Amino acid sequence: MSDLSKMIGTELTSFSYAVERGKIRETALAIGDENPLYTDPEYARARGYRDVIAPPTFGICIDFWGGQDFMALCRKLQLNPVKVLHGEQEYQYFGEIYPGDTLNACCLLKNYIEKPQMSIFILETTYSNQNGEKVLVSRSTVIEKK
Amino acid sequence: MDNQVYYEEFNMENPLPPLTKPPVDKIQLVKYAGASGDFNPLHYMDEVGQMAGTGGVIAHGMLIMGFVGQAVTRWIPNRNLKRLAVRFVDITKPGDKITVTGKIVDKQIKEGLGIITGEVIAADQNGGVKIKGMFEASLPLKEHGGKIKEVF
Repeated sequence: MSDLSKMIGTELTSFSYAVERGKIRETALAIGDENPLYTDPEYARARGYRDVIAPPTFGICIDFWGGQDFMALCRKLQLNPVKVLHGEQEYQYFGEIYPGDTLNACCLLKNYIEKPQMSIFILETTYSNQNGEKVLVSRSTVIEKK
Repeated sequence: MDNQVYYEEFNMENPLPPLTKPPVDKIQLVKYAGASGDFNPLHYMDEVGQMAGTGGVIAHGMLIMGFVGQAVTRWIPNRNLKRLAVRFVDITKPGDKITVTGKIVDKQIKEGLGIITGEVIAADQNGGVKIKGMFEASLPLKEHGGKIKEVF
């Protein structure tokens, strides 16, 4: 397991993702969040946004649709996929995510903790838009049960 | 901007207005699988849930965090939300009716902005906690002499 410890601080994956209006709308509808900020550009503009915006948990859509393949991640971290749990999730917001944005995401292994019952991995992904502005940071705690 | 919310409108005495969602159903899990791109069959194939020992499909944890995000952005305008952090405590099954509750636990003025910290919990109809979390928001202060309205 020492080779995993050596991976702390290293990049696991990076990818880019084009934000689509339809994906924002689909995500809001799936959650059942009827806030018009996610679907109605006029409403959003009246509130000072330049267009509809992404909801606060949109980061997960960027990951799965943008190329952070779960199985590839499991292979990289030597995880058994059926023993993996999502323990914690944190988002830090620095700016809005709009349709038409191209986001560049970079995922680091922030920490790795070996415990008797489980291995704990902290992944930190930073998302920047086409203007180089950091808009979102995600921290995920991934647990592999033993 | 007609929806500005100010620091002074929040207090630590009263709970924030709860959000109760319709019961989670399998159609919602399929919709959320497509929306999020999380196609783990545990969320839409009962036989996989039975093999995994959950007795059937379970909801995506991130869907329940989506409910938490919905509640928090009813309390705080999106642009003022700076941080949302949750711990997934227990699984959610179809039929579970989730209510998100919250309260403000800290208020501080830093560099001319009002920073509030809140706790948030998502629980089912039996009080079973699914998510525990916290949020932070940065809110403008009412100008001196401005009218303070209590919205919550």
